[in-house]
Parts: sequence; C-alpha cells; structure tokens
Amino acid sequence: MNKPLILVVEDDSAVRNLITTTLETQNYRCQIAPTGEAAILEAASYNPDVILLDLGLPDIDGIEIIHKIRSWSKTPIIVISARSEDTDKIDALDAGADDYLTKPFSVEELLARLRVTFRRINDLTNDNIQNSIFINGDLKIDYAAGCVFIKDKELHLTPIEYKLLCLLAKNVGKVLTHTYITKEIWGSAWDNDVASLRVFMATLRKKIEKDPSVPQYIQTHIGVGYRMLKV
Amino acid sequence: MEEIRSSPEELLKQIKREEQQKNRGHLKIFFGYAAGVGKTYAMLKAAHTAQRKGIDVVVGYVEPHMRPQTSQLLNGLEILSSQEIKHGDIILKEFDLDTAIDRKPKLILVDELAHTNANGCRHLKRYQDINELLDNGIDVYTTVNVQHIESLNDLVASITGITVKERIPDSVFDNADQVKLVDIEPKELIERLNEGKIYQKMQAQKALGNFFTEKNLVALREIALRRCADRVNKMSSQAGGKANSRFTDEHILVCLSSSPTNAKIIRTASRMASAFKGNFTALFVETPDFPEMSEENKNRLRKNIHLAQQLGATIETVYGEDIAFQISEFARLSGVSKIVLGRSSARRGMLFARPSLTEKITQYSTNLDIYIIPEKNTPPYKLKRNKSQKTKFIATDLLKSLICLVASTIIGFVFSEFNFSEANIITIYILGVLVTAVITSQRIYSLVSSVISVLLFNFLFTEPRFTFNAYDAGYPATFLIMFIAAFLTSSLAVRIKRQARQSAATAYRTKILFDTNQLISNEIDSAGIISVTCNQLTKLLNKDIIFYQIQNKELASPLLFPVHTGQDISEYISQNERAVATWVLNNNKHAGATTDTLGDSKCLYLSVRVGHEVYGVIGIAIDDSPLGSFENSIMLSILGECALALKNDKTSKEREEAALLAKNEQLRANLLRSISHDLRTPLTSISGNAGILLSSEENIDKYKRKQLYADIYDDSLWLINLVENLLSVTRIEDGTMKLKLTTELLDEVITEALQHTDRKRSEHNIIIESSESFILVKIDARLIMQVIINLVDNAIKYTPKGSDIIIGTRSEGNRAIVTVADNGRGISEDAKKHIFDMFYTAGTKIVDSRRSLGLGLALCKSIITAHDGTISVTDNKPHGAVFTFTLPTEEVTLHE
Repeated sequence: MNKPLILVVEDDSAVRNLITTTLETQNYRCQIAPTGEAAILEAASYNPDVILLDLGLPDIDGIEIIHKIRSWSKTPIIVISARSEDTDKIDALDAGADDYLTKPFSVEELLARLRVTFRRINDLTNDNIQNSIFINGDLKIDYAAGCVFIKDKELHLTPIEYKLLCLLAKNVGKVLTHTYITKEIWGSAWDNDVASLRVFMATLRKKIEKDPSVPQYIQTHIGVGYRMLKV
Repeated sequence: MEEIRSSPEELLKQIKREEQQKNRGHLKIFFGYAAGVGKTYAMLKAAHTAQRKGIDVVVGYVEPHMRPQTSQLLNGLEILSSQEIKHGDIILKEFDLDTAIDRKPKLILVDELAHTNANGCRHLKRYQDINELLDNGIDVYTTVNVQHIESLNDLVASITGITVKERIPDSVFDNADQVKLVDIEPKELIERLNEGKIYQKMQAQKALGNFFTEKNLVALREIALRRCADRVNKMSSQAGGKANSRFTDEHILVCLSSSPTNAKIIRTASRMASAFKGNFTALFVETPDFPEMSEENKNRLRKNIHLAQQLGATIETVYGEDIAFQISEFARLSGVSKIVLGRSSARRGMLFARPSLTEKITQYSTNLDIYIIPEKNTPPYKLKRNKSQKTKFIATDLLKSLICLVASTIIGFVFSEFNFSEANIITIYILGVLVTAVITSQRIYSLVSSVISVLLFNFLFTEPRFTFNAYDAGYPATFLIMFIAAFLTSSLAVRIKRQARQSAATAYRTKILFDTNQLISNEIDSAGIISVTCNQLTKLLNKDIIFYQIQNKELASPLLFPVHTGQDISEYISQNERAVATWVLNNNKHAGATTDTLGDSKCLYLSVRVGHEVYGVIGIAIDDSPLGSFENSIMLSILGECALALKNDKTSKEREEAALLAKNEQLRANLLRSISHDLRTPLTSISGNAGILLSSEENIDKYKRKQLYADIYDDSLWLINLVENLLSVTRIEDGTMKLKLTTELLDEVITEALQHTDRKRSEHNIIIESSESFILVKIDARLIMQVIINLVDNAIKYTPKGSDIIIGTRSEGNRAIVTVADNGRGISEDAKKHIFDMFYTAGTKIVDSRRSLGLGLALCKSIITAHDGTISVTDNKPHGAVFTFTLPTEEVTLHE
C-alpha cells in the first residue's frame, strides 16, 4: 500500500522539522512548502492526500490559500494556527478547511487529527455506495426510513435533533461551525439560534451518548462548533 | 522711613504680566490732532525704516483716499488684499483680519484705529481687530486722531461743534506700547489744506469753513498735546510704584441711567477719576419699574453700561425703589467721596413737587461732594414705559375690578337699609378700591375704581339720590377726600405688592446662586457639574443653553439644555454658531449676540475659565431679549463657580490617573521581577536537559533518559500554561480586552475545560455534579475555561494524590453558580484574604516544587469581575477548600 502523502505548509523551520519528523516516524510521506506560493504550486503538482496549513505565512494569508486550493481540489485541509482568536479558525473552517489545530499542540493530537481525517476519506469513498444507511459504532441512521438506532434500539428524536444528527453524520470527522449548522438547520444565524443549538445538542447527546460528560460521538469545540467523531 | 516693598504674590503677578507682554505684539499709535497732519505718512515712513532693518512688514489696510505723496510710500511694501463686504448695493472694503493672522508678519500696518467695521466683519470696531492681532503676537502700527478718544469726545465736540461717532476706549490709547505724536503748526496745516494736499478742492472749502479754522486747530492741538502728556504721567506713576495707587482715598461714583445725556456724564466722571487717580464706580439702581422700561431705553442703558466699562468703571447694580437712598447707601458703604450727577436727574423730581434727587442725596449723606454736570440741548426725554405692556388690558383684571365695585355697592345698599352713616359706605368703597389694587396687576384699575367709586357714591347714596347732584355743601369735600383716600391706599398697596414681588425675585435669584453652589459641590464628575450649571442657568435666565466641552484644545460635540425639555434647538448648533464658539475658545473672550464680536449670531458665547485655562464654552440663546445686568452678574458668578469645579475635577482626575499609572508601573515591575525569577527555572531545566541529551545521550541509561525527556515535557507545558495566563492578564489589566460574549451551555464549557487541565489529573478523582436542567450562560467561553482550568489545576496542585475534586453547577435566579471543591488541607484564614491578589502564592516560603507566579487566581477574579460575577473561597467540610463563582445566565427561546 502506498504511504499517504502529506503537504506541510509551515514557515517556521523548527515546527516544520517537528511535524515532518513526527509524520515520518508514523509512516507518512511529507512534502514541504515554506511559503504560500510554494504551497499552491506543490498542492497542484503533487496532489497530496492531506494538507497541513499554517495560517500565518509570510506572503499570502492562509484563508486566501484555502480559497485557492478549494477552487480545484477537495483535498482535506487541517489548519494550524498560532492565533488563539476563534474567528480565524471559524473563517478557515467556513472557507473550506476540515479541521484545525492551535499552537502549541501536542504530537499526539496532531496524529489523532490526521487519523480522523484519513478515516473520513475512506468513509467517503466507501459509503457512497450504500449511503442510505449510516453506521458509526453503535449508532445507526436509516436515512430512507428516518430512524436512528443505538445498539439496534430505536431512539425517539425531535425533528430538529434528527436534522442535526444527520448533518453531523454526513460531515463525520469534519468540524462544523455554529454558523454553518444554524444556517443549515434554521436558515439563519442569529445569536438566539446558536443558544437553541446548544440546547438541542445537549438533548441529542443525552439520547445518543452513554456518558454525556465524556462524549463519544459528538465533540464540542468551544467557540467554534461541533464535530461527529468516527468511532 | 519705611520702604514699601512688594509682596511675593505681587512680584509673581508682575512677572507673569511681563511674560504675557512678551508674547503679545507691540502697538504703536501715530497720534495727531486733525486729519492731514501726516500720521499715515509718518507710519509708512516708519514701516520702511523697519523693513530696512529686516523686519517682515506688511500693509494690512490703508485708507484709499490718500495724498499722492503718501501713496508713493506704499511702493515696496507688501499689501494684503482687503475683504469686500456687500452692503446693499455698495461694496465696502474692509481690513481682512483672517488673512492677516494667517500671513503672520512681524509687523502690520492698519490705518484708522477708530474705524467702525461694516456689518459682517468679525468685530464691530477696528481696535478689536488690532487687539486680536496683538494677541497673536503681531506688532501693529496704527493711526488715530485726538477727537476719537472716548473721554475727550465731549470736549472736542464742545470746541468744534462736531460730534464724532467713531470712538476708541481710552484704555487702548493708554495701554499702547508707544504713542508717536505727529504734530505740525496749525497754520501750516491750513496751508496744506489750501494746496489741496489733504482733501480734494471741493471738500477743502467745506472742511475749512466748519472745522479747520485756526482757532479750532489750536485748541485741538492743545488737547492732543495734553493727552499725550497725561499718558506719560500715568505711565511714570505706574512705573514709580503700583502700591501708591492703592492709597488714594478718592472714589468717584457715577449713576447710570437710560438717559441719552448719561454718556456725557459718564465720560466726565471718568476724566475726573483719572485726574484724581481715584477709584471709579458706575452704579445702576434697578427700580421696580425696570421691567416695564421700553426696549429703546433698555438698549441705551446697556450702551451706557458698556461705555462705563470701557472707561474703566466697576459696574455695580443695586435694587430699590428710592433711588436717592440706594445711591447714598451705596456711597456710604463703599466709601465714595464724589458723586457725579447730570442736571436732568437733578431736575427730575420737580414735576411731582418732591425734593429732587440731588436734594435727597444731600439729605441722606452730608459729607459727599456732588458734581452736577450741565446739559446743553437736552432732547425731550421721558422714561417711556413699554407701550405694549401699558395697553394690555387683561380681561380677568377688568372683571375683578367690576366685581369689587359691585360688591361694595351691594354692601353699601345693605348699610343704607340699616341706616348706617355715610362714613361707613365711604369706608366700604375705599376697602373695595384697596382690594382691587391688591388683586389686579396694574395701577390703572385702582385709579379708575377710585373715580368710579366716588361717582357711584355720589349717584346712589347722596341726597338727592340717583343723580350726580349733591345738596349738602360739604359733599365736594367728602368726594375729594374719598377719592384721595381711595387713591392713596391703592397706591400704597400697589407699591407694597411690587416690592414684595421684587424681593421675591431677588430672593429667587439668590437662592439659585446658593443652590448652584451646593449642587455643584455635590457633583463628582465634569458631566454632572456641567449639567447642574446649565440647568440652573436655564432656570435662572429662562433661555436655552448650549455647552461645549473642551477636548484636546478643541470643542467637543455640544450638550443642549433647552428650557422646555424635548424642544428642538438644533438651530443653535449650526456651523456658524460653532465657529463663534471656537473663536471664544481660541481668544478667551466672550462673543456672539449682544457683543461687538460676531454680533449676528444667535447665541451669546462665554468661556468658562479659571485664569487663562478655558474649561468649556457656554452659549446662551439670546433671541432678542438681552440679559439684565443682575442676571448677567449672577450668571458670571455661576460660570466662575462652574469653572472652579471643573478645574478641581480635572486636577483630581489627573492625580488619579497619575496614581493609576504608578500602580500599573508597580504591577509591571512586580511582573517582570517574578518572570525573571520564575521563568528562568523551567527554561534552565529545558535547555539543560536537552543539552545533556544532545551531547551525551549514549552515556545515559534508558530510565534516566526517559526522566530527562519527561522533565523537558513538563516544564514546557508549565511554560505554555504560564504564557496563556500572562497573556490573559495583560489583556485584562490593559483594559483593551473586550469580552466576546456568546451563549454557552455551562456543562459543555466545563467538560471542554477539563480536557486542558493538568496531566496529573488522573491521580485525582474529578467528579462533575451538574444540575438537572441545562444552564445557559452568557460568557466569554475561552476566559471562563481559563478560570475553570486554573481552579482545577490549583486543586490538583495543592491537594495530595487521590483527593476528590468536585465541580458542581446550579442556577439561582439569573445567576449560574459554579463550585470547585476539594478535600485537601484547606486554606488558612490569613491566606484567604490575599488569595486573589496578584503575585500571591500560598507556598511563598517553599520555593522549590510549587513554583507559581500567583497569577492564576488573580486572573480568575479579573475575568469573573469582568463578567459581573463574584468569586469567593470558603472552607469545605470536614476539610478542604471550596471556590465558588457566579456567572450571568441567559434565557433562551427555543426555535423548533
């Protein structure tokens, strides 16, 4: 089997070394791009499996790069940002990034995110065939019948909860921003909708999670959004 | 012999004055006794001399009708363009003040100091323009003739028979830095005139006949020379010692009135005051009639007051009905030695066969010199009442009078039924008139009532009844006495009523002044002071008020205080009005309506100042009803009070800011000290350990190596945490941080926060006890997470392994309450007091294992406070500590 190719876009050589070393020990192949120009060029010529993109590049703004790459490619992009400002992440996610990491991050976290992304790619290629039924661990969604099962036991969900679950399931592994979710569910993105979203998410969790304080399926990204994990 | 020494304060004042003089431009006046003596010529000559010395000279304005010799002198001098002002069909050329100030030469020439500017110029008079030039540090050369000097005006008029309308205050002349007398023999001047050098031929003939006679010119020359000599005397006496002037015991008092001849009396008094080198006071006695005075007279009075001010008089106002008594009381109390009166006021009483004003004053105060100034050609002048007021019949008053008459008549009939004597009926009518006088607003009603009463009495009650005849020979006397009695009683009643009204008004004004003092002293910030001041002024003056605060030496946006709340007074804040206010700010003088500067604006603008520091500009909407002198003086004292309060406020604010700055400095210093000490430890450990691993990895056994790696990792994590806290702290302490409030589910936030707590958490039992319902909170999630992380990390750090850490949430009203409880050793009472202080650490004595900057809890407190919450620490039972903080909750309507 071919080793997956990862494009590392990062201007700081120390961090780049850290990432490439980590990836190579884990059987990934790496391609390096220290600038935004190089990143777009490499992405076009090598067609990597995943792109790790630092938002603070010397030449082009990271969001701009996401827009450019998204114009021709659906390659998953994981954003790495030193800025702790949530808005940057949200902008990146809304622009089409799949996931994000905040500096400083631990090596384990980086690898975990990569695994999530690869599983998602695999699912996308496999699930396309039988996409009327979604299965994630004990969770099963029958889109055709509009039913949800945990351990083959049917759950009673309100319409909104069902819509939420489907939205998360269809984007499994991807972080969805609050704005994106509220727009999809309610068609608007008012503050009140975000507050409603939290309540529905909490009730949904109570129904599908074994222990809501240690969520298994739905992960919270405070200030950013939610993601369904592939178990 | 004792030398009179100046006190330090006086010396300081003198130094200050001299410093101001240094920045101010110098004024040189070319002074002549008549047109044609060569003032302009001399001025231009002097300008050329200055230019040769390398001084930047420009000609601001020179009269266009010039003699050829003189206009030749303009060659080689820079001439500023004049502004053109349309006045009906003609275009007037005027000196352009703004261009001159923008050009900012060292020296500027402006002809004709006494000129009156056309409407539309900034100032009414040219000497005000020149004053502004001087304030801007520009030296000015100008010219003026003797007949234009205010105090000499009458004198010149009496000699030449020509009254000059354009006049300058004496102070302008006396305060000039230099006065150059341009003098030629009168004969020579007449010769020049005949040669046509001065005016055109035609004019020359005319001028010669009226004005330029040798006799006139000699007299004028003498006056001019003497005036110059006076000025020199004055200056030398000023230079000789200021202190001397204080020992003068002469105090000249002049009485102000609305009479057109009053101006002359004021001028005479002023000349007298300067001759005696005495104090000069102008007194106005406001009588109860004052509000009824016609507008024309009021205007004249204001002009007279203004004139007295210009001539250096102190203006005083007193209130009372008896003018003579008020004057002599004032004279007695202020130590006046001489009173100057006009003959008209001396004559005034004759009409009523009462003692004249002069006689009365002599009666009241025997040791006063009284000077009576004769008045030629006094135009017929009466204290005209305001017509509109006089003719105003008030229907209710008429009704009241009628009711009184009818009631008296009915009672009279009753009395006559009972055969009471006529004296009783007369008394009833007099009573009726008295009642009318008390309840109606004008004298006319009681007067008419008196007449009608007498007629009614005659018609109804005297034999033969129901005719106007009377049999008894004594009746005419009865009627006359009845009328006089009725009229006198009513007059007295009216007077008492008026006095009561007047004293009530005075009391009201005084009360406002005291109230304002009190209110201002209660206010703590400038906004409060301003609003109190303006509200009080609106109440007092019954006019709309606009207040501009000063920010960075510029006007801030105006605050409006309309008389009727909600009323639209935006017309007073137009661009033009603002420009006037700006002028007031820059020049620290009042301007606008009723003043000589920018008089066509809607409001009167005054600066609210202490000394030279302006704290605001206040605009008073005048609307054709100018302020009375008492209102004016009380307004000025309120503004003074306001300025003082604003100054105090500013000083205290500056002091606070300085203290805050010092505190921040202290904080920063503490932070740096802590950082330099505490950051080095983990950095040393990281770089040291990494160094060992790099250089001699092979010599270290596997177990030891692992430990070194773990140390590096731990220390770097510690640094990360520290940096996060530090960043948050600096953001909060700077005040630059804005909370990014979002609605979050409290349990979610806690769950998320726990992911970021210390790695050692697995050695403790962390339990979440959340409430049944969802608690939605409006918070900055990132910061609240930091609070939870810090509290839990603290609990982990300060409790032994295996301890329980319980995080509980509940909601109470509109507050969410979060508790973090542990069952460790607890916190001592002493430590509880300081635990939220910055740089406080529980283990201050132990330096090794528990290193901490003492930032965590201080940060928690800052964050919770920023969320309008509280944070506290209590003891846990049986042992341990409980940290409790509150957060605002958010109600939400669910969108299904």
